[in-house]
Amino acid sequence: MENTHQQEENNNKVTFGRMIMDDFMLLLFLGVTIYAIFYLLWGVMELSNLPTIPDDIKQNLFK
Amino acid sequence: MFRTCDITGFKVDLQSEKLIRANAVFAVISLLLAVTAAILLVFTRYQPVHLLGAEWYYRLTTFHGLNALIFWIIFFEIAGLYFGSTVILNTRFCAPKWGWIAFALMVGGLVMSNTIILMGKADVMLTSYTPLKAHPLYYLGIILFAVGALIAVILFFGNLMIARREKAYGDTMPLVAYGLMTAAIIAVITLATGAIIYIPTFLWSLGLIDNIDPAMYKLIWWGLGHSSQQINVAAMVSIWYMVSFLSVGGTSINERVSRSAFVLYILFICLASAHHLLTDPGVSSAWKVWNTSYAMYLAVLASMIHAFAVPSSFEVAQRRWGYNKGLFQWLSKAPWGNPAFAAIILAIIGFGFIGGTTGVIFGMEQTNIIVHNTIAIPGHFKGTVVIGTTLTFMGITYYLIPLIFRRKIVGFKWAQWQPWLFFIGIALLSISMIVLGQLGVPRRHWDSTFSGGPFTHNFNPAVDFFWALMMLGGSIAFIATIIWILVVVISVFFGPKVNGPQDMQLTISPLAPQPTKEHKGYEAPGTLILTLIFLLVFIALFFLNWKWLAATWNVN
Repeated sequence: MENTHQQEENNNKVTFGRMIMDDFMLLLFLGVTIYAIFYLLWGVMELSNLPTIPDDIKQNLFK
Repeated sequence: MFRTCDITGFKVDLQSEKLIRANAVFAVISLLLAVTAAILLVFTRYQPVHLLGAEWYYRLTTFHGLNALIFWIIFFEIAGLYFGSTVILNTRFCAPKWGWIAFALMVGGLVMSNTIILMGKADVMLTSYTPLKAHPLYYLGIILFAVGALIAVILFFGNLMIARREKAYGDTMPLVAYGLMTAAIIAVITLATGAIIYIPTFLWSLGLIDNIDPAMYKLIWWGLGHSSQQINVAAMVSIWYMVSFLSVGGTSINERVSRSAFVLYILFICLASAHHLLTDPGVSSAWKVWNTSYAMYLAVLASMIHAFAVPSSFEVAQRRWGYNKGLFQWLSKAPWGNPAFAAIILAIIGFGFIGGTTGVIFGMEQTNIIVHNTIAIPGHFKGTVVIGTTLTFMGITYYLIPLIFRRKIVGFKWAQWQPWLFFIGIALLSISMIVLGQLGVPRRHWDSTFSGGPFTHNFNPAVDFFWALMMLGGSIAFIATIIWILVVVISVFFGPKVNGPQDMQLTISPLAPQPTKEHKGYEAPGTLILTLIFLLVFIALFFLNWKWLAATWNVN
């Protein structure tokens, strides 16, 4: 009797992987976060850290 | 208020049905606008005709891009999201009033942006790279459309919550709804990125902001531009699974693996937006390589899983129905007379062999340089968005007409030919554009002979042949689209009513029977062979492009 009960419990146990796959709010959070970190933030940081064009070169370009 | 479908047995929320119909109708209108512009553009780029002047060429390129890539696709996807979250899950629509508000915003956005483009106040192409500046109402139109679409996606999640709370489905969501959920999550990423870039650009066009950094604009805009096409991929694959179920009673041979593939899409597919910045000097190679590889090709792996799982679901079901002879009887005895089935199989072939192979090759930093900014790039996405997504959406519409609009398909013979004609047309168009690009022909160029310009370039004489082929393919595809639009419009508005299963012209198959004895060996050998053929073609094209790169850029 106890064994059957335990077996039923095991059957109903949700694995960690399935828990993540079935939770659409968590998937939404993970999808947004990975994209925001790797594509957006990383890209924006690289562009923000570009040195500005020295004034003399800029003047030559606009001549 | 519900009705029970006498054909499928689904419980259909009547409010949801009206919203599905309205969004689908506007999708068709958007497609008509897009292809009208497309045929004029084809005959402009085809130099012997050179139909439009330069101004109208760029105006209609903008118009075509917005209607084809944004309005047609997103209206249809919203219809699909409502269908997936209410009809498939047997649940009610969470907030119909908000559904109509979203729809009104989207229609308002479409009318506003298109009017401004046709007035000649937004000749900025779909990308509208700064410092090109359009009229503020152009940006406002897109923002309104995006807000409407975002509300619709939120409503989709609301419907999912109701379905989960009311236990409308078993332990896990059905695979088709799961795929549509993937599309909705990607849509949130896409639309949020759109807001980040379009709101400041709108303020800049009003003169309230001094400057929008062009490099920053390009980076963020492609988070919208490319990711929006990934919504299509997820929605399209979901429809492939749905048509397998409806037409032959097929299900994925391993649902868990198919679900995992959708999760890989959610996590990594949007990174691919970096493809568009491969020649930009501002971002590092590390950023480019990581992002264009979709995080070490994990999202590509997902596509390979679906490319295998969908055909194998057809094959296994067909074999269970008794079509067991040899490797390909399941395919020869498939319901080819069902236009939805034919459309989906052709979409899978076109998407894999044309769009998929070129997508991976053109998306690599090294081989991209051969075709960057050439006409091969739109050729590639004709192989994904048009032959893949559009043909899939056309195919599923043949089921929506009797099931949602409750009308018989008028001109069924035409409907049976239409997917084949469309496939041939777009395949010719796409392949010829890809070859032209490989021969150096630029994209978005009114006059590729550079007549009257300070520089000239003599292309390989073979380009003349491929221009003619492109014009032929474009014309065939245009005719096929017009046939589809006529069949849909005439059926929906004037077709005889469907009164029950006896009026159904397309098969609705019961679930394929379970095998009576345990199967020994592999269940889908035909699909395995087809997949190996695909891999061989991919390897050959991959090698060819690297060889081409080595020949172009000789390093000793």
